[in-house]
Amino acid sequence: MLPLTVKQVTKIFKNQSGATFKALDSVSVSIQPGTIFGLLGPNGAGKSTLINLISGIMLPDQGSVEIFGVNVATQTERAKQLLGVVPQEIVMEMAFSVEEVLYYFGGMYGVLRSERKARIRQVLVDLGLEDKAGERARNLSGGMKRRLMIAKAILHRPKLLILDEPTAGVDVSLRQKIWGLVRRLSEEGTTVLFTTHYLEEAEKLCDSITLINHGRVIKEGKLKDIQREFSENSIHFELFDPAAPVLVGAIAVGSEFEYPLKNLAVDMAAITAHYGTNLKSIRSEAASLEHIFLKLTNDTL
Amino acid sequence: MSTHMWALYAREVKRFQKIWMDTVLSPIVSVGLYLGVFGVVATGRTIGELPYVTFIYAGLLAMIVINSSFSNPAFALIIAKNVGNIIDLQIVPIPAWRIGIAYALAAFTRSVTTLVVALAITAWFIPAFSIVHPIYFILGLFMTGLEFGMLGVVFGFLAKSFETLTFMTTFIMQPMIFLAGVFYPVATLPHPWSVISLFNPLHHNVNLLRFTLTGYSDFNPALSATAIVLCAIIFFIAMQVIASRKIRA
Repeated sequence: MLPLTVKQVTKIFKNQSGATFKALDSVSVSIQPGTIFGLLGPNGAGKSTLINLISGIMLPDQGSVEIFGVNVATQTERAKQLLGVVPQEIVMEMAFSVEEVLYYFGGMYGVLRSERKARIRQVLVDLGLEDKAGERARNLSGGMKRRLMIAKAILHRPKLLILDEPTAGVDVSLRQKIWGLVRRLSEEGTTVLFTTHYLEEAEKLCDSITLINHGRVIKEGKLKDIQREFSENSIHFELFDPAAPVLVGAIAVGSEFEYPLKNLAVDMAAITAHYGTNLKSIRSEAASLEHIFLKLTNDTL
Repeated sequence: MSTHMWALYAREVKRFQKIWMDTVLSPIVSVGLYLGVFGVVATGRTIGELPYVTFIYAGLLAMIVINSSFSNPAFALIIAKNVGNIIDLQIVPIPAWRIGIAYALAAFTRSVTTLVVALAITAWFIPAFSIVHPIYFILGLFMTGLEFGMLGVVFGFLAKSFETLTFMTTFIMQPMIFLAGVFYPVATLPHPWSVISLFNPLHHNVNLLRFTLTGYSDFNPALSATAIVLCAIIFFIAMQVIASRKIRA
């Protein structure tokens, strides 16, 4: 039973003028058990809509979402019980103490009172918040609030953890801690789905990724396979004057250009001949996720 | 009650306990002020054989129950929407109908808490006051607290902003409370207002609670009880329909 199976999901919204648009168009995604899965895409690509559909916050207009074989639309509560969700925005009961936030939220996931306190102690230690148990949530720093959000999501020990941009706006040290926690949860058998704008993060953490743009899946698979596919098929080069006429077949990817590789020697010669002294650098190496992402989305982060 | 639902109920009770000055003490101060003013102005006046102060006291207690139970879920939900933590309700594995009931029960708990404190503080100063029909009083209290708790859930889910909720409270709830016979017997109103008032659901809550507290009523208490049950059923259905729709984004 796969942790997540999204089949041909379409979600249509109406904008303020009454016109409809497809936020998601026949999207299919599946995640293997115990893996760390990255959902990537530019702003407005449909990532949050997909997260909302998986979390049961929204229902799809077409298609289905299953969590470990449980249909989110028809068995919503059973499916939600299997999930832990860390929303993108930092939101919580600000008047409550850290311990109270966790106590009531854990209860709302059915964690029994007899074991709730012990679990709260454990997650507070895991997230370095053990000294803050009695502190009001509103008085925590931004990073600590983010950690509390993660603590809320893992308290009931979900089988599938969804992290929507968990490291947005956090410092490097905390980011490393969150990565460590995600890796540990994955090693313990929790499947993790997360979205991020930090492609370096996805590269370091993810076993597999799905890139979406304009509501459609544009690439999916194991990160290494995708990188191999792209690095074997392209040459990257930089120009002193990027405004120079572009060689036919080359495309701009950020500050670089990419040229489809057919024959390394011939292609390198063609690029060198076309740009001459304007050529700043040229290479054929493993494509970074950022390059792949930019090439596929033809967009900027 | 499942662990899930109980935790939500307990969280909502904890919320009003944390701000008890606003949620419990404030309505009692209002009652004290009303009694102070009317007690002085209407000294010696009676409604039937009932001292006027005792008459309005019973009405004010009913008002406390209605206001407290309505405000608790309505403001908790609109604050959750404003702050953004309404998402907690959207992601937890609790069906919308149970979420509605947990909020309504927390509202009832707040109204009972406020009422008990109000009675403990003020009842000593009210002439000829005792709870005449205690069993019916508890039943009436239970129905009224739940009824307006459910209405509060409906308003809380429907309101899109604080302004909308304040508008609903100021222009719908408050006029209905003041026209419910808290300060005067509805039967003394001129035609057609005396008849129109019978269609104000709040009048029946005030009338029934006043009857159970003092033995005085200006309308058949059994019919008022029936009206309350009917309203509670309507609010229950509305709560389930609206909570189910609004809990999803």
